[in-house]
Amino acid sequence: MFHTLTWVIWLAAAAVPAFTLRNPLYLILILGASWIVYLALGRTSPVGRSWGTFVRIGVLFVAVAVVFNALSSHFGTIVLFSLPDTWPIIGGPITLEAAIAGAVNGLGLLTILAVFATFNAVVDHYQLLRATPAFAFQIGTVVSIAITFVPQMVLSAAEIRQAQRIRGHRFRGMRDLLPLVMPLLATSLERAIQLAETMEARGFATVLSPDSLEPTHRRAILAQVGLLAALLGLLAGLILLTFVAGGNAWGWGLLILSGAGMGVILWGQGRQVRRTRYRRARWQSHDTVVAIACGIALAAVIAGRLAAPQTMAYSPYPPNSLLPPFNPYVGAALLLLALPAAYRPTPLALRDSLRSSVSISENEQTNEPDGIQP
Amino acid sequence: MIGFDRVTYRYPGAQAPVLQELSLHVEEGEFLLVMGPSGSGKSTLLRCLNGLVPHFYGGTINGRVRVAGRDPVALGPRGMADAVGFVFQDPETQFIVDKVEDEIAFSLENAAMDPMLMRKRVEEVLDQLGIAHLRHRSVNTLSGGERQRVAIAAVMTLQPRVLVLDEPTSQLDPQAAEEVLDALVKLNHDLGLTVILSEHRLERVIQHIDRILYLPGDGQPAIVGDPRTVLGQVSLTPPLITLAKALEWSPLPLTIKEGRQFVKQYEAHQQRASARAPSTTEEGLPKALAISVEGVSFSYNGHRALNDISLEVRQGEFVAVMGRNGAGKTTLLMHLVGLLKPNQGRVRIASSDSPATLDTRQAAIDEIIRVVGYVPQNPNALLFSDTVREEIAFTRLNHGLPPVDDTALLERLGLAAHAGQYPRDLSVGERQRVAVAAILAAEPQILLLDEPTRGLDYQQKEALVAFLEAEKTRGRTIIMSTHDVELAARCADRVVLLGDGQVVVDGPARQVMSESLVFSSQINKLFRDPALLTVEDVLRLHRPPNRDTITDVPISGASLS
Repeated sequence: MFHTLTWVIWLAAAAVPAFTLRNPLYLILILGASWIVYLALGRTSPVGRSWGTFVRIGVLFVAVAVVFNALSSHFGTIVLFSLPDTWPIIGGPITLEAAIAGAVNGLGLLTILAVFATFNAVVDHYQLLRATPAFAFQIGTVVSIAITFVPQMVLSAAEIRQAQRIRGHRFRGMRDLLPLVMPLLATSLERAIQLAETMEARGFATVLSPDSLEPTHRRAILAQVGLLAALLGLLAGLILLTFVAGGNAWGWGLLILSGAGMGVILWGQGRQVRRTRYRRARWQSHDTVVAIACGIALAAVIAGRLAAPQTMAYSPYPPNSLLPPFNPYVGAALLLLALPAAYRPTPLALRDSLRSSVSISENEQTNEPDGIQP
Repeated sequence: MIGFDRVTYRYPGAQAPVLQELSLHVEEGEFLLVMGPSGSGKSTLLRCLNGLVPHFYGGTINGRVRVAGRDPVALGPRGMADAVGFVFQDPETQFIVDKVEDEIAFSLENAAMDPMLMRKRVEEVLDQLGIAHLRHRSVNTLSGGERQRVAIAAVMTLQPRVLVLDEPTSQLDPQAAEEVLDALVKLNHDLGLTVILSEHRLERVIQHIDRILYLPGDGQPAIVGDPRTVLGQVSLTPPLITLAKALEWSPLPLTIKEGRQFVKQYEAHQQRASARAPSTTEEGLPKALAISVEGVSFSYNGHRALNDISLEVRQGEFVAVMGRNGAGKTTLLMHLVGLLKPNQGRVRIASSDSPATLDTRQAAIDEIIRVVGYVPQNPNALLFSDTVREEIAFTRLNHGLPPVDDTALLERLGLAAHAGQYPRDLSVGERQRVAVAAILAAEPQILLLDEPTRGLDYQQKEALVAFLEAEKTRGRTIIMSTHDVELAARCADRVVLLGDGQVVVDGPARQVMSESLVFSSQINKLFRDPALLTVEDVLRLHRPPNRDTITDVPISGASLS
């Protein structure tokens, strides 16, 4: 539906305020926006089912944070009840302010979880991996292999556990781990070798022609030495900035220089990787609209913090008011995060996507239980 | 297209070469079948075609190899990838990415192909293999046959001139194998693609192939020729050919249709066969009950895997549980050993040692496995020790049984020579038998086998049949789930046919198998007579009845060693 990059921008616009703001009103707006996006776009995807689990974990965080903060922080004037002073740490007055502060902290975590859960439900994971920058494409390939590999490992593990169980194997101590781990390890290694052979046979990494091998090899070594130098430069710059008095100018200079050097090297390496993409997703007008909306939301939060910081932060403890401050402009801008939901698929498209997910579950049903199928 | 000139190859550290002075020439568009016993060098030969041997495996190669005008020994697999497409045996380990369409495009993306051309190639290949409907699916949700077709599609995108397949159907059930082989025949016929296939299941492909290369192994020279000539000289053949050779039919019939011609003459000559049908079902006293399944239902993920199944198995019976994939065979076996508990109904297991029966819902699994032994489909799930002997000792230790001299057991299974070897180094058939040994070490009265013939060649199957028949005469109750019609025809007394979680037919093997179209053996299809299911049945009638050797008809070079 949306381009992968659009979703990355949305994630940045929603997650940065969720991480930095501790004002419950803004957090609730972000939470609501990501919930709406999930309802509109994420529910039909196979991974979308995990959204509820994420949110349940978040709610648990809120509960834990309320109890923990109320019991440990005894500031505030509105006393709910008191515990005997002789009790270590938790003894003393239990205040409403402390409970509210805990709830706001928990709400922050809940919002972050909801934002990531929504992103997880709406984004196409394979496309996301393919969107890795060219210099890191090998890492992307490794991760995508792992994603294909893991479900098979889980199935083998279940199969092995069952097979050993009916052979009379019981788990009593660490020694009994061997009959379970050895077959799994051996099976996984055999699989890995097979996969290597398959990739070899399919000509994976045939980017270079044999006669150009020599100079590229030298260039690769040069690039690695350059990267190492750039990293050392960054480190030296940081040390100058933090520990050496008056080293500010030199420190910033080194940081910028090393950062630029690193960028050039990685870009150069990426240019050497020759590969094309199948079905490169096209950037459409609605991608532009959503990206701009996300940009406005993020800009509003930053502008709010710079221009009117008193309307952004919140602390329930005296002398502050219990009621959080609210900047209506920032609030309205944050609502823009729900914009992707306006592009809900038409009923016809929705039916198609439902049908495809139904056909998958039908196929699962014909399998016999516990992964005994080939 | 392919030329081998006196090729000799030796694996690193091996004493004898696997391939010796092999010469072979294959024309463009030819469909060549490579056959031979396990370990005879089939896989090695195929891997020479794209340079995996010697580049991936090491070792030394002599002689000249040319494929599509290139030298795989010099170029290696990467240099051959666009000329030779290679599909491997295991449908589970060939995938790099999760989605079918992306998997198919993967090689092309890495070859930096123009996106427009890439889309065209992917669409073409999806249609050629008839998998367009699977394009958005995850490879983990596909059946074995579908996976192998996706694997073929993935190599076909590079438009190779030769397609090489190393036992692509040995891990599949018959229906799935048929899908894959039909796809190959289509590619060979429609595109004139050169196909080199190694395969155990000859019945399905034999009428479509141009030539057979037979590798006997043990340093003996290879035989190449048209199917009739080669099959006339080798012993590893499907029942139809084995029978035709025994009855000296000529020219050798390759299909049931061709065989029927001979049957007509044969029957006119032999009078009616069924008049002298052997009565193998000797009705003795009803034996004691071994397992009773009473109205068992089991649901899994909202799907009803077993639906009100009732079944009684008597002691000493040999039951084959058959049915298509997903019919509930494995689920039923897992109920019999208490790994799964029924949602409704119950499973009771009787032991000849004690009068009480075990209800799988109440009894602990340790009590059940003292009576019931279960050999899972995949022997690799079981094997972890350093030697075969230790595997047996481990089971006995688990059961609290004293260590015992395992030589007799190993000899019965033909494993005596491998007692000190690492089980995972053995061939598929041997590993299967080690798994059986590991289960039998606990001396269960009832033996359950789940698809025991998966991945076995004719010779290994014969060894298994001989062993199972011996166990049956020793009085062990055996229940086996299988797709293998020939195996069931050879050993089982009784066949239970499952369909959609229910018992469709339950009766004597002869009756069930001769009334069925799908689940009947080749010989039965040939004669259409319930008395004739196997080669032995026919030969028993054919030979003079006063000869003592009736039961020892030499078939297919069976041997346990």
